[in-house]
Amino acid sequence: MPALREVQAAFRDALLGGDDSLAAAAIASDGMRPDARLRIYRHHVFATLTAALKATYPVVCRLVDERFFDYAADCYIRARPPSVPCLFEYGGDLSEFLGAFGPCRHLAYLPDVARLEWALNAVAHAEDAPRLDPARLHAIPQQAYPGLAFRFDPAFRLLSSPWPIDRIWWAHQPSADPDSTVDLGAAGAALEIRRVGGDPVFRSLDAATHAFRRALVEGCCLEAATTDAFVADPGFDLTGAVRSLLADRVVTDVALATLGDHPEG
Amino acid sequence: MSVDTASPATLAGVGIGLRARHLEEVLAAHPPVPWFEVHAENYMGGGMTRRALEEIRRSYPISLHGVGLSLGSADGVDRQHLRRLRALVEWLDPAMVSEHLSWSSTGGVYLNHLLPLPYTEESCGTMCRHIDQAQGVLGRRILIENPSSYLRFRHSPIPEPEFLAELAHRTGCGLLCDVNNIYVTAQNLGLDPVVYLDALPSALVEEVHLAGHARNDAGGRTILIDDHGSPVSLEVWNLYRHAVARLGSLPTLIEWDTDIPPLAVLQDEAGRAERILGGRLLTGLHASAA
Repeated sequence: MPALREVQAAFRDALLGGDDSLAAAAIASDGMRPDARLRIYRHHVFATLTAALKATYPVVCRLVDERFFDYAADCYIRARPPSVPCLFEYGGDLSEFLGAFGPCRHLAYLPDVARLEWALNAVAHAEDAPRLDPARLHAIPQQAYPGLAFRFDPAFRLLSSPWPIDRIWWAHQPSADPDSTVDLGAAGAALEIRRVGGDPVFRSLDAATHAFRRALVEGCCLEAATTDAFVADPGFDLTGAVRSLLADRVVTDVALATLGDHPEG
Repeated sequence: MSVDTASPATLAGVGIGLRARHLEEVLAAHPPVPWFEVHAENYMGGGMTRRALEEIRRSYPISLHGVGLSLGSADGVDRQHLRRLRALVEWLDPAMVSEHLSWSSTGGVYLNHLLPLPYTEESCGTMCRHIDQAQGVLGRRILIENPSSYLRFRHSPIPEPEFLAELAHRTGCGLLCDVNNIYVTAQNLGLDPVVYLDALPSALVEEVHLAGHARNDAGGRTILIDDHGSPVSLEVWNLYRHAVARLGSLPTLIEWDTDIPPLAVLQDEAGRAERILGGRLLTGLHASAA
């Protein structure tokens, strides 16, 4: 009798790899072949994980059609099975997988559409975070503001793509006009994804605002982020940008980066 | 964030397994359901789903049913996942917490299924160690549910009801009796479901589950699939009557996970279970009056 750990490893190989021999040897035949019994378990694993991926990636599924998605999902699940039990956390690297997946490599925009859908999913389920306490900001003298660093809500993401992934996304919503087309040669997208009223939404940002917020998200201080924004647009309005950042309620904490006092957490 | 209730409510009557498709309806209509059960792994993030549960918790007792702890894994329990479960339990303060006699994880892979264990001394020790660990970290007793099985291991000398009784005896956990799972397992493995039910230690069972199953022809014979995708079958209702007669009027749950119908259909199923529970109560009153 193999040890429990060996039985479980054999089961994993049978369910994911298709090699039934070791697991089958541990199973009684009574009236039905062990491989037929294992197939029932395999079917459930693949059906539920494919359904979870479809729920996270409905636009990718529509873009490639459902039969192809099922095939790609099957290959993905075998290559990169989940490691954690929360299904809303499964599938974060599907974009990378699709980018290297031969049968759809010609759809160059597909991985970035997948990144957008993953960002929407991650924002929807991100941990709830407290809002910025205004006293934290007021405690910092104004002359020190160039050294300010910001901590962002976990339900806040930035994403850019050379493809018009926002227009592709809208054109593949169930309510979209089926005859609408997207010009793939149009400008790319610089997007921000966050929660509004609890729902994940995205919107397009101008290049300077995107560069400004990107630098801050990456931990740069206000001065460095402003430099990035001016590179994108010499007419960048810093005061307006800081005001709208705070009004959007996506910042959870502030601190002085120059003193090594990074926001906690 | 905390929930403003003084102590966890107790469960009574027939509850319904709350699924995402019914969240809005429950929030808007406040249907007369005595309690709801939710899957822990669906509420480990933030956002709208967590907010919905926070609101539902104010009006209904909640039972928390884990599906991802993998208590039967030889590799051990994922500590990070157990910590997330503890945080959820502390926030929600549920009336019950339950998990399964099964495993899902091995070698860092989570297989998203309640997979079967051989019932041996080794697996009993593994389950007991992990139940002890979970009860220790959660700071409370949990219930363990019997799985549905599609196979039997060649070497599995301990009958399942005895195995469950041993877990409860060694760890102090309670049991969750899924009547549909007993029926599905019994049909698939050629057992007598009544004999199985009678072998469970009735004093340790604290909750009952009911659901539908599908019939599939596979490999030249009929296999029952525990898909929770149809009304409770006649045979399972009959077994439930026997369970109620033997176990008493335990809180009972109606579950539906595939092709989920409108909430009203689940409420009809719950009503049917209530009448069986109520009938038992009436019989009990009659007996004590005589």
